[in-house]
Amino acid sequence: MSLNSKSLAVILFVVLFGGIALSAALGWWQTESSKVAATYTEGEFAGQANPADIRGSYTFGDVEKNFGIPAALLAQAFNVRTDDPSTFATKELESIYAESALEVGTASVRLFVAFYNGLPFDLGTDIYLPQSAADILHTRTLTPEQLVYLDAHIVPDPAAPAVDSAPITESAPAAESTERFVKGKTTFQEILDWGVSQSVIEQILGAPMPNPLTTIKDFCTAQGLSFETVKTQLQVEVDKAK
Amino acid sequence: MKLFGKRLFRPHSIWIRKLVQWFFFLLIAFIAVNHTLVESGAGIPFLSSASLHAVCPFGGVVTIYQFATVGTFVQKIHGSSFVLMIIGFALAFLFGPVFCGWVCPLGTVQEWMAKLGKKLFKRRYNHFVPTRLDGVLRYARYLVLAWVVYVTATSGTLIFADYDPYYALFNFWTSEVAVGGLIILGATLLLSLFVERPWCKYACPYGAVLGLTNLFRIFKIKRAASTCKADGACSILCPMNIPVDTQNTVRDHQCISCLECTSEAVCPVAKTVIFTAGAVK
Repeated sequence: MSLNSKSLAVILFVVLFGGIALSAALGWWQTESSKVAATYTEGEFAGQANPADIRGSYTFGDVEKNFGIPAALLAQAFNVRTDDPSTFATKELESIYAESALEVGTASVRLFVAFYNGLPFDLGTDIYLPQSAADILHTRTLTPEQLVYLDAHIVPDPAAPAVDSAPITESAPAAESTERFVKGKTTFQEILDWGVSQSVIEQILGAPMPNPLTTIKDFCTAQGLSFETVKTQLQVEVDKAK
Repeated sequence: MKLFGKRLFRPHSIWIRKLVQWFFFLLIAFIAVNHTLVESGAGIPFLSSASLHAVCPFGGVVTIYQFATVGTFVQKIHGSSFVLMIIGFALAFLFGPVFCGWVCPLGTVQEWMAKLGKKLFKRRYNHFVPTRLDGVLRYARYLVLAWVVYVTATSGTLIFADYDPYYALFNFWTSEVAVGGLIILGATLLLSLFVERPWCKYACPYGAVLGLTNLFRIFKIKRAASTCKADGACSILCPMNIPVDTQNTVRDHQCISCLECTSEAVCPVAKTVIFTAGAVK
């Protein structure tokens, strides 16, 4: 059996576009990531979203969904002026800090999120944050090692800051709130202690609240709920109650 | 094929391949531009705005290790790359590296540069590199392949994107392209004035993978020695410098299945160099 060029061209198109159509029908043809960050697989934070998986295509809105940090706060931290910070892609930071001798980009967002949420993060490489982001992080509880790293990796804010780089403490969480972060080990009792009512908790869970000493993560796992979703919603209520 | 009385393609060429190449070049170019437009809030309706990584089958190859060990794709690689990789392999098992010869836009651009090179250097074109050196250099792309697979597996990121001339070709207007990629693209285009498809011959890691299928593909380029005039036309005009006239079956790892050597193109004798799954008489 021989083929000429026209037959080969037809077969090429049929196989290529037919294969794509078939894969699309089977749900395999995905050209974008799901924007759901990978989770830690072991240790105290197992099951929680890992900031190391934040990608350049993530918008501040995606970061907010995954890690519960408001997009507006991220915009403030990184001097991004926009009417809708939730649509700002982290990879665009490099253009804002193009004048900076040290790179501020997606890796900076990963570092900021890890420090802000008290999550483990590999500090083996040099990653830099703008002064405004460092100011916010100084209001959080950081380990001595993190503080040393942070203070050694600060770059000045852009010459024409996109947002007023005046003290940010107004919108940044207060220092005493550092313990008020929903993590894998957080119990329902702690949420109650932080001022969130049982009815609000049950509204988020869509089910009666269990023994208050139950950890939220254990409850979610047992009930088949998404811990990340519940955690994010509870964090919003905790922040409101501050 | 003529348009307004003028011949569009040189005589005895596989003109439909040129059309297919144009189609895929424009398709990828429009998708790349649309990707940029969508990111800036605009965009062309009804046209994919996928990233270049999402429509590159080699992305599927480099993510195989991570997919097998962790179950996830390398950053920036998506299911579509994996699907295209499978389709690319299926086509290659049947017909050899048709992706290289018919689809790859970087190969197409190199061929366009080759037209200029042929005008400049006539018969010397594509015969500058000493045969022995050329033979050794052609295995360099396997080293590139090994390096790309290794660094991708160990880093979990597409480090090759910073050196990839294909990525640079369709992203040179964005801030995403690295200087390394632009330099290699420039060098590739410049070398294309002297050597046909230099990137494909000496450095392309995806070509290295697909080239291996030349050893066992179903449809092969075969020469009927009984009717062959041994005029050497097939060998002289082969873009990959394969000595077709000395082989009964082309199993060279660099063949790109362009069919330019066949009796449908440069071979002057009918049914002497053919693309077949059977035997030749």
